[in-house]
Amino acid sequence: MLNTALSSFGAQVVLVTSSDENHPPESMIDGNTETFWLSTGMFPQEFIIRFPDNMKISVISIDSSNIKQLRIEKSTQEDEKFDLMAEKEFEHIEGGLQTNEIPVDGSNATQLRFLILSGYDHFVSVHRVGIQA
Amino acid sequence: MVKLRARCIVVGDAAVGKSALSHMFCSDGSHFQKNYSMTAGVELLVKSVNIPETSDSVELYIFDSAGRETFVEACEKMWGQPSVVCVVFEISSLDSFNSCSRWLERVRAQCNGLQLLGVLVGNKSDLASRREVETTVAQEWAQEQGLQYLETSAKEMESCDAPFLSLAQAFYALYQDRRQMIQRLG
Ligand SMILES: Nc1nc2c(ncn2[C@@H]2O[C@H](COP(=O)(O)OP(=O)(O)OP(=O)(O)O)[C@@H](O)[C@H]2O)c(=O)[nH]1
Ligand SMILES: [Mg+2]
Repeated sequence: MLNTALSSFGAQVVLVTSSDENHPPESMIDGNTETFWLSTGMFPQEFIIRFPDNMKISVISIDSSNIKQLRIEKSTQEDEKFDLMAEKEFEHIEGGLQTNEIPVDGSNATQLRFLILSGYDHFVSVHRVGIQA
Repeated sequence: MVKLRARCIVVGDAAVGKSALSHMFCSDGSHFQKNYSMTAGVELLVKSVNIPETSDSVELYIFDSAGRETFVEACEKMWGQPSVVCVVFEISSLDSFNSCSRWLERVRAQCNGLQLLGVLVGNKSDLASRREVETTVAQEWAQEQGLQYLETSAKEMESCDAPFLSLAQAFYALYQDRRQMIQRLG
């Protein structure tokens, strides 16, 4: 399920801090690692993915490049505040994608917020976000 | 269409003309302040630069920083992770030129290992009769440091935009380069 496109079950990217027409945020949830969202300068960067229903999430997977510190937060209702879910420092991968599977506590979430606090370069990319529900 | 964002840190000794240059650029040359008004801390100015022959732009967040030593620590806290740097001295003061390596190091120290694109600016080119720093000397040092060298006069409105336009274009070129590199990863 980690490789399934999140968009196929109605997930949406509802906020993003960078946008290049050639690399729309939907590229992160189309299940395809060839398409990607690219940040356009300065840290932190942020994006929020919203699900149509509450999801019980046990693992979050991310294919990316140049991300250093990442924080993931969740909320259970649209207007509710975000709570910390996981914080991780990714390894720098030269000439390939960073592939990370982050185990989380299996609690409910309708929105996931990803905060990219720093990078190994000025620009970071996210190719695929997946979840194990 | 893409809009990039870059943190542009402007540093150099006190009274070399950092604020004058930043304001000339951001006000499109409409405002040169003759009386010296010291910057205490950091003044943030924002201006968007269009990249020629594209519909793309780079929004520069210009951190015009104090040259007075008293404010240095406070400034460093404000910079965050710099994208590009503009190191300024005045051609009529050798001291201000000799300080440039210290200023550059200070900004580099905040970069967490990220590449730092930059320009070296010799301001007050109108004071040519009192010149203490030869163009070739400045150019040579800039080259060693991987910086581009430019001379400006905020007073005569000479080339004030050039350092910022050059930084915006260099940052844009870096983006295109990285974009292509990442395209090959997927
Ligand atoms: N002749 C001449 N004077 C200039 C030029 N640029 C700035 N000045 C003058 O130099 C003085 C200092 O300029 P500022 O821009 O305030 O200097 P600064 O580098 O911002 O100084 P701090 O904020 O204290 O670090 C002012 O009196 C300006 O009018 C120039 O190109 N030529
Ligand atoms: Mg100033």
